[in-house]
Amino acid sequence: MTFMDTLKLAFSNLGQAKLRTILTVSGVAVGIGALSCMVSFGVGVEDQLVSRLTGSGMFDSIMVTNVQFSGRGAARGRRTAPARGGERGAAPAGRGAAAPADTPDTAGADSPAETPRLRLDDEAIAKIAALPNVKSVLPDLRVPVQVSYKGFQEMTFAIGVPLSSAHEGGFQTFAAGSFFANETDDACMLSLDLAKRVTTEDPKTLVGQKLTISYATASAKSGATAAPPPATDVPEGLAGILTTQQINRIETHCTIVGIVERETAPGLFGGGSVSSVMIPFAKAKAIDAVQVTSLQSVLRQNEPRGYSTITVKASSPSHTQDVEDQIKKLGYSAFSLNDALQGAKRAFLLLDIFLSLVGSIALVVSSLGIINTMVMSILERTREIGIMKAIGGSDRNIRGIFLIEASAIGLLGGVMGVSLGWVVSRIINFAANWWIESQGGSAGNLFSLPFWLIGGAISFSVLVSLLAGLYPARRAARLDPIQALRHD
Amino acid sequence: MPAAIEISQLKKHYRMGASIVRALDGISMTVQAGEFVGLLGASGSGKSTLLNLLAGLDHATEGSLNVFGQDLSKMSREQLSQHRRHKVGIIFQSFNLVSTMTAVENVALAMMFAGVARGERQSRATKILEAVGLGGRGHHRPRELSGGEQQRVAIARALANEPALLLADEPTGNLDSKTSREILALLTELHTQHGKTIVMVTHDAAMAARLTQRTVTMLDGQIIAETAA
Repeated sequence: MTFMDTLKLAFSNLGQAKLRTILTVSGVAVGIGALSCMVSFGVGVEDQLVSRLTGSGMFDSIMVTNVQFSGRGAARGRRTAPARGGERGAAPAGRGAAAPADTPDTAGADSPAETPRLRLDDEAIAKIAALPNVKSVLPDLRVPVQVSYKGFQEMTFAIGVPLSSAHEGGFQTFAAGSFFANETDDACMLSLDLAKRVTTEDPKTLVGQKLTISYATASAKSGATAAPPPATDVPEGLAGILTTQQINRIETHCTIVGIVERETAPGLFGGGSVSSVMIPFAKAKAIDAVQVTSLQSVLRQNEPRGYSTITVKASSPSHTQDVEDQIKKLGYSAFSLNDALQGAKRAFLLLDIFLSLVGSIALVVSSLGIINTMVMSILERTREIGIMKAIGGSDRNIRGIFLIEASAIGLLGGVMGVSLGWVVSRIINFAANWWIESQGGSAGNLFSLPFWLIGGAISFSVLVSLLAGLYPARRAARLDPIQALRHD
Repeated sequence: MPAAIEISQLKKHYRMGASIVRALDGISMTVQAGEFVGLLGASGSGKSTLLNLLAGLDHATEGSLNVFGQDLSKMSREQLSQHRRHKVGIIFQSFNLVSTMTAVENVALAMMFAGVARGERQSRATKILEAVGLGGRGHHRPRELSGGEQQRVAIARALANEPALLLADEPTGNLDSKTSREILALLTELHTQHGKTIVMVTHDAAMAARLTQRTVTMLDGQIIAETAA
């Protein structure tokens, strides 16, 4: 007896008891529908969260420093050995002390000349950029500037923002205006907080206005008798050292193109960090190249530029860990939030398992329905089973017929159940989004039905039905043919 | 001529509550290949039990039971199903056709278990049905057929896998006399023209004496008389 023969016989038997088959299949469909709906919800919510988190640019970013996080001394840039794996956990705490954001050239300036050190300079950037799966490598540039607008003046930091940071982190929502159109425009963005300090009017009116940005540069004096440079912040006592240097105040103007709603903490991962003033990265780099921010920077102007931190972007969040490990092998300290994402994914896995278990309750009930149907079917067909045995049907043949009948119920129930679950999830999604939008939220797909879930749910349905059919099939196979033939 | 059936000290005991029913109590007999034997006896004499053991539908309690040289008492359930499939054809008093299947499907079902290909099953079943006088009735379900026609379908099914031994358990018990004569004529034809070995259980001694070559009479699980025609 071939498999196809068994299959045809099983389907023919199911067709003989249409109503009972339909009812049993419906029971399985409800169970599988509930299960697929639940898991679909878990997967949908996870997709929503993960896509928003990865969209924030936080999870494909790696923060690289050349400092050791194990202590304050080490934090001053005396790095001689490659970072140990265990450092990562200490990174966030150590970072604040290690590389204060207001001293962009700490590493270069502070490291003693006699100690071999790994500088975070343009050479290091090139080395890291050459690693596989690295999308971009950019130093974190924060330049101290004075911003002026009409009567308003304030010392603050301007952060260099690459174009690739559009739609990331704090740049996902704008109070007014938009992101830079290109790298070269004299454009800038303000945080909403600063904008409110700049003007007493509606901050939105600032979009399109010119803002003055001032900073200091140093240049060789043209003559020993030259007048003192205007507007320097250098303390008077140091004036003697500066006999050959002249400090100049540079003023540039930028057009305010956007007001960013959220001002996040400085040094937030990824390119989406928001400062008071944001200028195109190229512009910040140009200012950084000529700017003097301290006496030390004046004295060491001829040394290669070093950065306190650089931000590396992996080509995808899945490569973050790999890239991070490679950077560590090069000898730098690196830290990413990838682990946090992995943790979130693990949590969602647990949620999916929990939802599956809840959904499985309905399936357990429907599997009892299958057992009941099959046992009833055996009772009804006892004589037929006896006949089949009398004309040569073996125990295995009879078992096969019943197992295939059970599997067929599972298959039909699975397909119907997944369809039912999809319809129900669409309805719930529609209702939920209608409510979310009415509350001012943004709509999203709360349910996700990937192919693996469709295949998995149908396979699971067949498997559960097959298991439910085991007992009845065994019972049918073990029937005594003589007794069965006497059955009415 | 070699023996088709060799039975020696065959016993079949059933437990019924506290007592033991000796359905067969030490039977010995031989049936030659191509022989037509009638098994006679009153109800409860053990003739149907013997037929069931020959068919491989049940296991003997004791003794040996050789059919075409193979001892059924030593066979597993799977081996017994092979025996039923290929070596014997069983004809029941109550026809025992699958009510949801047509005549052709009922005959083909036996071939399905024997692994005959689908196309061949259909053509062979149709031919056998024609041979037993049911040409053109193949697509009728049992309830659409008369008793005699149903028994013809059952005989066709018993012949499906071309067994050398036919076991008939009161094949005319549910039929009127005219139809009975037709069915018995068909069995006789299978014996005389096709050389089938037939063991037929009946309680009609006169009919058995007329048709069979030998009658074996049983009582209380034992053979009490053997008469050659």
